[in-house]
Amino acid sequence: MESLKLKKITALWVITILVLFLAAIVLGILMRLNQAEVINQEPLTFYTNMTTHGLTMIGIWFVAGMAAVNYLLQRYVKTSYTANLFAFILTVLGVVLLWLCTYLGKFNTGWTFLYPLPFKDLGAAPWATPLFLVALTILGLGWLVWSVSMMAKILQRYTLAQAFAWQHLSKQPKSETPPFILITMITLVGVIAALIAAVIVIVLFFAEYFSKGSFVNDALLMKNLIYFFGHTIANEMLYLGVAVIYEIFGELSGRPKWKTTWYVSLAWNSALIFILTAFFHHLYMDFVQPEGLQIIGQLASYLASLPSVAVTVFSIIVAIYGVRIQWSITNCLFFLGVIGWVIGGLGAVIDATISNNIVLHNTLWVPAHFHTYNAMGNVLFSLGFFYWFTTQHVSKLVISKLTKFALIVLIISGIGFLMAFYIGGADSIPRRYSTYPEALTTGPALARMGAYFACLYLLVILMFFYNIAKRCFAILSAPSSSVGA
Amino acid sequence: MLRHFICTLFFSWSLIVFGYGAPANLDEEQNIYAQIYNAPIKLSPTQAQVSLADIYNRKPMLLAFVFTRCTGVCSPFLLQLNETLRQISGKYLYQVVVLSFDPRDDVEAMQSLSTRLHLEKSTQWIFATTDSITALNLSLGFDPIWDSSTNQFDHEALLVGVNTQGYITKKLLGIRGDLELRQMLASINNAYIPSYRLPADNDLFSCFTYDPTTGKNIPNLGLLIIALPALVSFLLLVCIAFFSRNKAAKWTE
Amino acid sequence: MKQDSILLFFCLLAITATIVFVWVFRSSIKAEERTPGIKNALQKRFWFLLILVVVFGIFASVTLPKSPYFAFAEEVPAKVIHVAALQFSFFLSEKSIDPKSPSGDNIELPLNKVVEFRVTSLDVNHGFAIYNPQMRIVTQTQAMPGYINRLRYKFTKPGIYHVLCLEYCGVGHPVMQTTFIVK
Ligand code: HEM
Ligand SMILES: [Cu+2]
Repeated sequence: MESLKLKKITALWVITILVLFLAAIVLGILMRLNQAEVINQEPLTFYTNMTTHGLTMIGIWFVAGMAAVNYLLQRYVKTSYTANLFAFILTVLGVVLLWLCTYLGKFNTGWTFLYPLPFKDLGAAPWATPLFLVALTILGLGWLVWSVSMMAKILQRYTLAQAFAWQHLSKQPKSETPPFILITMITLVGVIAALIAAVIVIVLFFAEYFSKGSFVNDALLMKNLIYFFGHTIANEMLYLGVAVIYEIFGELSGRPKWKTTWYVSLAWNSALIFILTAFFHHLYMDFVQPEGLQIIGQLASYLASLPSVAVTVFSIIVAIYGVRIQWSITNCLFFLGVIGWVIGGLGAVIDATISNNIVLHNTLWVPAHFHTYNAMGNVLFSLGFFYWFTTQHVSKLVISKLTKFALIVLIISGIGFLMAFYIGGADSIPRRYSTYPEALTTGPALARMGAYFACLYLLVILMFFYNIAKRCFAILSAPSSSVGA
Repeated sequence: MLRHFICTLFFSWSLIVFGYGAPANLDEEQNIYAQIYNAPIKLSPTQAQVSLADIYNRKPMLLAFVFTRCTGVCSPFLLQLNETLRQISGKYLYQVVVLSFDPRDDVEAMQSLSTRLHLEKSTQWIFATTDSITALNLSLGFDPIWDSSTNQFDHEALLVGVNTQGYITKKLLGIRGDLELRQMLASINNAYIPSYRLPADNDLFSCFTYDPTTGKNIPNLGLLIIALPALVSFLLLVCIAFFSRNKAAKWTE
Repeated sequence: MKQDSILLFFCLLAITATIVFVWVFRSSIKAEERTPGIKNALQKRFWFLLILVVVFGIFASVTLPKSPYFAFAEEVPAKVIHVAALQFSFFLSEKSIDPKSPSGDNIELPLNKVVEFRVTSLDVNHGFAIYNPQMRIVTQTQAMPGYINRLRYKFTKPGIYHVLCLEYCGVGHPVMQTTFIVK
């Protein structure tokens, strides 16, 4: 069913992602150790690490979702290999340029590069900011071409109405849209919108850069646009993971495939609107933003979680409750990931409530909740997919004693690492501090706790990496005939 | 697809070309929420002096500073103020007190000024002089400088918003647009605006302006840019769907 | 403190969610070979969705009125403090601050009276978070260049309050702070 070429490029994606993941985790641990005062780095080093960590993590888990969706999409439509390869090359190029920017050029604005910080004295090389913008342009171009191509392929087989499952809103739908197609479409629209926001941001940045000060941008407008891009892309990458779960969870458990119903269709279609307006919650503490948009931000943040939580999570529970299914490593990772995702979502909803945000905004509560649904959510979705992809066979995914142990360690490390963030957030410890002022007494101790648990997490990931990469290399080196058996 | 991109780029560029700079006028931030000096003022040749508090206790007040011999900003300032206030038909209470800061002006001169502006019958407008202008200026941070070579004061048009308790709630320097005037009306009526822009000559790029009379935000061009990504992607979607339509028709299942 | 109840609330929710998932998982492990699972799943899912919408609606209508934007909007503040943030320090002053040569004063604020901070930035985005003497955030706003944010607050406990920057503004971000006294 899936072509060999597609399989090989997907394997290439998987290996690249995992290697970058390991490197970025090490950066994360270094940051935590520095905050714990166990090691002593220059602030500049800390902030280049932080910027690299954030950009790399967002980048790789976004493309992980895209690669997985692209691979599974092959079951329904013929996707473009060229677009996939093009995206791969541009992603690698873009990431290399980003690392050059941060490590050679000392670029350190954080992954959100809020205007006008990139234009101010950063202690960075003068070429770092323009190169950063070029790197973003390259990534944006690659991803835009990729997502537009996937969307076009879907729309060649399905009409617009079918792709969005609108026919399910009527009493007797004539045709059925698989949930996978529905979610993929919704997500791709969001991804494209986020990338277009990035294009506008880059144009505005460049324009000011080349005008040499003859005009300046508006800080509020730029902040809105940057979070339109940043929030939306970070949000959509979760939905890419969800689409994968929809497609293969049932199959792996030997249960019937999930169906689209009228309210599933309605929930996801309205989620599209909510996802595109939820980013306003990043501007709650900018009182210049009109109150109406702030309220939209809170409501959209709440409602955006409905289709995912109520529909997806409930479907998983239905698939499992009281049914004897085969618990493979992929299933387990998906299941764990969903738990992490729900808990992270609870943390997010709490923070997306304006009256709480006033004491939580930009404290460690923020990395707390987004690491919950990334490190213990989306990452596990993708790892589950990687396992399944490299074996393509449920029986090969049975859980050994060692794997069971590794999963337990993963859970413990996740709880420890994340609780250090949550407690820090409740203790009003700010995010993005290379070291904590003396008055914030609990900061360093919590950072140490976070760092140690993160090391455990790294160990488990190393083990997964070994298992998955081994098989990926086998796929890459396999002659055409033996793969896909 | 390419076309939309170019459109987006072009649109963004055409906005950029206008550009804008934002020289912040922080003098307006001086003396906010300070009590205004309760000067005795004279309204007509016949009446006795009253205190400024008698006036602003009745109704929130816009206090405009002029002198009758001014060959510069004063009369366009008052004309514009009158014009703008007439256009704003809002829910807020206000009265305008025009006060001379030139000791040479007497009440008669001020009354003829009001006649010239056809405001002598208006109940909203009060023209007055005071003999305590130095203390009043001090409480406002207002500092007109006498230039003997031109026989004129070197000064900016100053409008001060005062609420009924005598607190200075907002100051505007120079002739300003109706939006800022609305903000001032809101502020003297103790309506709270959580935030505002620093004065900028050209805020083409900003996203919103708050309109206190309606309590709504007026979208500026910047807001359009925020909505642009969503709009462009929907447009793109429809275009792709349109161009893929023929192939979709073949699908049967 | 508000933060403690938030953390507690979160932990309760997280634990509840975990218990549900563990319970579901165990029911799968313990199940017989061929059991049908949940009956009428589609219908139950619909009800679940509906209940969530209602819960969210209630939550939103309780919390939205507590939003900070219009706090103390009806009152005339006893004092206005001008705040200019600049890489990597804060200037607080009772007078307005000249952007060309910013300077600040030592600030003393009255107890139990509304105070207004007019916060702006002279360079990049900064945060303006007020920490009480126990080093917990009591309120905050952002300092954005070109805009002034008005933050009103009534201090009810005397002591030394810290102001920390809560928006990343460059390598000096973690040392960007100041204090004022409330008495
Ligand atoms: C166990 C693995 C990880 C560790 C140890 C780690 C550690 C950290 C630390 C210490 C920070 C800085 C927190 C602060 O603001 O003080 C951070 C920020 C961040 N992390 Fe992670 N992280 C991990 C996994 C991930 C994953 C899986 C993602 C996936 C998206 C991610 C995305 C980010 C982002 C976007 C930031 C924000 C960077 C910024 O503020 O500019 N991290 N991480
Ligand atoms: Cu800062």
